[in-house]
Amino acid sequence: MNLVNIKDVLTSFSPALDYLALSTGDGRIKIWDTVKGQVQTEFADIASSEETNIYTNGGKGHLSVDYTCMKWLSLERKKKRKLGTSILVLGTGGGDVLALDVASGQLKWRISDCHPGGVNAVSSSAKASCIYSGGADGMVCEIDPNSGNLIRKFKASTKAVSSLSVSPDGKILATASAQLRTFKCSDLKKIQKFTGHPGGVRCVAFTEDGKYILSSAVGERYIAVWKTDGAKKQSASCVLALENPPVFVDSWGETDAKGLYVIAISEVGVCYFWYGSNVEELGNAKPTKVSLATEDSSLKQHKGSLPIIFAAKLQGVLKPGSANAFIASGLLVKPSFQKMVLQFGNDLVLNASKSGILLPITQSVSKSKKGQGVQNKVTTLDRAHAEDALLPIARVADLLENRSVQPQPSDKDTDMIDQSQADYVETFSMEDKLRSLGILKGTDEPNNLSSASVMDGIDLEAFLPPKKLKSAVLSMEPSTAFKTLEALVAMWQTRGRGGKYLLPWIYSIMVNHRHYIMSQEPKNQQLLTTLHKITKNRGTALQQLLQLSGRLQLVTAQINKAAGNETQSRVLEQEIDESEDEEEEEVEEHFYGENDNESELSSDDGNDEDDEIQ
Amino acid sequence: MIRGGRSYVKSPPSFSNDAKKLLVCTGNNVSVFSAATGLQITSLEGHTAPVTTLIVVPASSAAQKILCYCWTASLDGTIRHWDFSGPELLKTVDAQVPIYSMVIPCLLSEPQQLDSSKLVAYVSVEDTSLVKEGSKELRGHIRRFNLAKERLPRGDTLKETEEPKSIVISPSGEFFGIHHKCKIHVWGVPSGGGSRNALAKKMTLHHTKVINAFAFHPTERIIAAGDVTGRVLIWRSFGNRKLALASQKKNARSMVDLDNPGVRDGDDAESCTTWHWHSAEVNVLNFSSDGAYLYSGGREGVLVVWQLDTGKKKFLPRIGSPLLYFIWSPEPTLSSVVCADNQIHLLKMPSMEISRTISGIKPPPSLPKMYEGLSSTVAFDRSSGIAALCTENYCVQLYNLLNDRGISEVQVCERNHQPGDEITVVVTAVALSLDGSVMSTTEVKLPEDGIGGLVSLKFWESEPDNKTFTLSTIVYEPHKDAGVSAIAFHPTRSMAVSTSFGGDFKIWVCNSDKSQTEKDSSWICHAVGSYKKKPMTAAAFSGDGTVLAVAAENVITLWNPVKNMLLSVLGATLTPITKLCFVGKSEFLVAASNFPKPELSVWNTSKLSLSWSYGLRIEAVTSAVDSSTFAVLALVPKTFRKSKSKKNIFRGRDGAILLFNGSDPKPVSIWTVMKAQGGSISFLEGDKSQLRLAFVNGSHEYVVFDPSSDDTHERSAIDYEGLVGEEETGDFGYTSLYGQLPDYDKKRKEDAESLATPFISSERPWETIFSGSTLNFPPLQKLCGEFFESLMEKSNSVVE
Repeated sequence: MNLVNIKDVLTSFSPALDYLALSTGDGRIKIWDTVKGQVQTEFADIASSEETNIYTNGGKGHLSVDYTCMKWLSLERKKKRKLGTSILVLGTGGGDVLALDVASGQLKWRISDCHPGGVNAVSSSAKASCIYSGGADGMVCEIDPNSGNLIRKFKASTKAVSSLSVSPDGKILATASAQLRTFKCSDLKKIQKFTGHPGGVRCVAFTEDGKYILSSAVGERYIAVWKTDGAKKQSASCVLALENPPVFVDSWGETDAKGLYVIAISEVGVCYFWYGSNVEELGNAKPTKVSLATEDSSLKQHKGSLPIIFAAKLQGVLKPGSANAFIASGLLVKPSFQKMVLQFGNDLVLNASKSGILLPITQSVSKSKKGQGVQNKVTTLDRAHAEDALLPIARVADLLENRSVQPQPSDKDTDMIDQSQADYVETFSMEDKLRSLGILKGTDEPNNLSSASVMDGIDLEAFLPPKKLKSAVLSMEPSTAFKTLEALVAMWQTRGRGGKYLLPWIYSIMVNHRHYIMSQEPKNQQLLTTLHKITKNRGTALQQLLQLSGRLQLVTAQINKAAGNETQSRVLEQEIDESEDEEEEEVEEHFYGENDNESELSSDDGNDEDDEIQ
Repeated sequence: MIRGGRSYVKSPPSFSNDAKKLLVCTGNNVSVFSAATGLQITSLEGHTAPVTTLIVVPASSAAQKILCYCWTASLDGTIRHWDFSGPELLKTVDAQVPIYSMVIPCLLSEPQQLDSSKLVAYVSVEDTSLVKEGSKELRGHIRRFNLAKERLPRGDTLKETEEPKSIVISPSGEFFGIHHKCKIHVWGVPSGGGSRNALAKKMTLHHTKVINAFAFHPTERIIAAGDVTGRVLIWRSFGNRKLALASQKKNARSMVDLDNPGVRDGDDAESCTTWHWHSAEVNVLNFSSDGAYLYSGGREGVLVVWQLDTGKKKFLPRIGSPLLYFIWSPEPTLSSVVCADNQIHLLKMPSMEISRTISGIKPPPSLPKMYEGLSSTVAFDRSSGIAALCTENYCVQLYNLLNDRGISEVQVCERNHQPGDEITVVVTAVALSLDGSVMSTTEVKLPEDGIGGLVSLKFWESEPDNKTFTLSTIVYEPHKDAGVSAIAFHPTRSMAVSTSFGGDFKIWVCNSDKSQTEKDSSWICHAVGSYKKKPMTAAAFSGDGTVLAVAAENVITLWNPVKNMLLSVLGATLTPITKLCFVGKSEFLVAASNFPKPELSVWNTSKLSLSWSYGLRIEAVTSAVDSSTFAVLALVPKTFRKSKSKKNIFRGRDGAILLFNGSDPKPVSIWTVMKAQGGSISFLEGDKSQLRLAFVNGSHEYVVFDPSSDDTHERSAIDYEGLVGEEETGDFGYTSLYGQLPDYDKKRKEDAESLATPFISSERPWETIFSGSTLNFPPLQKLCGEFFESLMEKSNSVVE
């Protein structure tokens, strides 16, 4: 498994999040439309195409440019004009800073040799009143975004400035080499110094209220959080650890009111998400991971780059602990964009789409039959089957009930439950019916009720193959499973029959939900003890029963022998008829297309008729 | 407030002089797009009505190429001069009459000595002083204006036609003309600019078929014209006699008897040749800038390039939609073709590759008459602000209303790639589930000579990766032969209901709720229900999904969707119900019926009674999920709109959106809208927890606004009182509510009229008893008691 190096990938969302600029280090910038998921336009060779006209164009000059940093910002709107222009500010390894007008696709301005040795970072405040750039020469330049004029230039560090960031209100500038420094933007006075990072800092970001700075250096597997309004020299307030060095950090929310949300992307393309109502909580928080599923075999065989998450942006908060995020993931050649809700504490695994990969030939053949593939998945119901409804006959709600209880919305729920109970009572045995009517008194009523309401979806009378049964049990919520168990035990206890159907369920629930049952046991001690008692009681009788049945078998066999072979043949005929009936039923079900998976499951269990029919 | 979905193709676009920008008329604005990226750069805003003409001032020399000036003319009766690099409005000329087309010849003919005082424009206007419905006045005028003045006098009229025509000008600026039925009228522009006496000379070319489009050759006297049958006619050396100088006129006249091949009726042309390739009408004709080629296109969606001298052809096929315009840019490698499906393709020129496409919302399909008004062709995904719109070619376009950008298209059924074929399939309805993960469509294959008709219902699952939908289940003939009247989705479960005119409804469920993966899911029929074999016309689920309301013509039946049980029947409206909608999570149910007597009624499902009703024709109903507000889109009748006192209020708008709160019959606020016919509304609930209302009109333009903010209110509720009052008292009033009990009615009517508001909520338990199923009939004693009791109660309450 080769790791994708996304250190060289530059990404920047447009302010409205409807475009993503993506540069993969070959001097081209692709603008992706995040709404459509398509490339809107591509910029290559901007520098040289400026002066030349369209006839002489066509050189491959884009390879000579290497962009080192990128930032998309929208310029302040003049007057009331609707469309503010948005520019993409780029720094190059050659030390130039240039701005692209994205909409018109033209170079807006360019400062040549702004930072000899290479530009390392550009940043601007939310209002984009000015742009700051930092470079290998340790200088920081303040640039007017409209004209591209250099306003000020000052020495921030003796070493190369590796990253910088401006606070959202535009008042504080943080520059970083190995050491993090903050400056007042108005007079460029040094405010604070934070030391602790061993190497060059790769990413710096302010929180939304500007009270904290997040930073991470090359090779570090953590993000340090620094307080901006404290003492002059400080150590980190807290540290957020992740499994791989982060390449991108963003945050949302305030420390006081809304809580702090931090999102980071690591070198291997996994997105991490922290939440804390204050910094201490944030520091203790375990990150929530968002990653792409890579189990797919075709992807593993694929030698090229793996799908990764390479850009993310927090958009807003739904409720404490969950935030909206906009995530670009997949392959760099064909990213897909998703807006998703990150719930703190719930790790997410996204499905990686395979579009954009050059698949091996065998697979591409199947892919080329896409039309057929789609057709195969489509279920078709023709006229005859459209009429076969599960509940074919409409019924009128019970008149008596209807008149006494007006179906008001508030009452409707209870009304429905009453009806559902009534339904299930019908399907139960006469004994239950009698009991529900109060004629037969035995065990307590509540058990009966709960059985009726809980049994929804379980057809006890039908024999299910063990696998199916297991899957059904697994799909239950633990709490409902527990209730079901209660009901089953009660049923077994009262009915005395049907153990053949009930016991697999009880067994399966006990096996699959034992943790929950164990946790519940202290409260309802009697359940397991009852169960134990019943099993013991029945178990003691088992030996005698077996003996009895053996005796009976023997007797019947002898009687049969005496009576001759006539009856036997009849029985055989009947059996054949029955099996034919079964086949017919199954054919019909197949036509629906609804039971495909069931049949696959059941075929394991020796239901070979199914396969023959197919 | 977000406006969008404007048509890019109402009038021809224009390239800037450096060919880097493309100016497009979009409604009241002109949008400037970058030809390199296809993104919008800026927009020229100022006109108050749709812009109809856009003329970029051409550059006369290479140095002037960076100049960005343009003239626009609009239906609001003004001509404006802009600098679109800024963008800045330089000058406004008020012509006072709606302008449909404008040409300025001297910009082309003598650009060097551009003197603004001598600018003369020829405009095609509609003489609004003559406007009367149905009259046969010649309202379209071709006039001559001097743009030097701020406010224009009437101007000289060159020609009058029934309707305003678009003017075509020759690239040299010497001639301009219009096509009118089977004729082309051509005027020669008098040289020397603006002297008042020099009126343009006129000539006419005749043809036997209706002419759709024509074009002038850039240098020679050649006219190409396309007619409705697909022929392209080329007249050479036209106007040698009539448009020549006055001194030569006499000599020219003697040449009439010369044999001019193909020229009709002694028209003033030397020869006329015909090319026939197009099978349908020709809409696009344009010569290349050097005059060597002729571009033509039409309904087939194929751009044909003719070599003018030889007649050899080259094609750009499979554009996929009828062509509307073809324009070339000052840059020889770039040109643009505009299609009827609201797309502008930029072509790389010698090879004619489509290099970039600027696309907008697609226009609605043209439905056969019988399906008009029946179909619901717009569905909304409330959380993400995505609308699914039925378009031509049996597609459903997914359009992001908040970003004003198309997302993807879903091909509902197979189609022929050649546009303009006869319509054989109609997509009658589209519906989206509340979370936007499932889409359902119905289509009707029209029978040919009464056989072969087929109705099918399709369920589509969303694919978040590709932002599109894939087909999950097809149901052929879901209701036997009967058509599907409505589809509605359950708010929480994967369940849908389809109702049919054949008298039943079916509940469909997805059989793989959780256990299986999404891709294997399929939909099956869960239950069938019918009520007295009446046609089912509408359906809606309640907010919590426990109750399904299905309209059986004029009664509303309430069902338990899971158990398929009829819970109760709500009393009758007078006419079949076409729309149903539960009001949020409250107990109110809104029903709308259109034909023959329109009615909007609100029912209380807990009391099983009518709360109030209006005699309004409702086009769409929507309700907010959480709150108890709901909004309706009502069509305002013509008679009412035209009445004098209301004319200034409506100003050509034919619909109104009314916002109601719960059971209160008085609307909270009202907005008047244009093109409400075929429109649709929906609440959008974005993540910012703010409620917005989206309105998509009949031509797929839309607006998204916040109904609670004050600045968008155009009119308050006070104005509305008059509107409804007048409407109610005439036809509907109390007979509609109390028709069954005349004695009681009278009394109520008097009382009601003494009140200011003509509608009063009423509780009528007795009425619902009568209109229920026979099984529901209570014993007589009970019935009478309840009946009289209700009478007593009512009287008392009114007396109080």
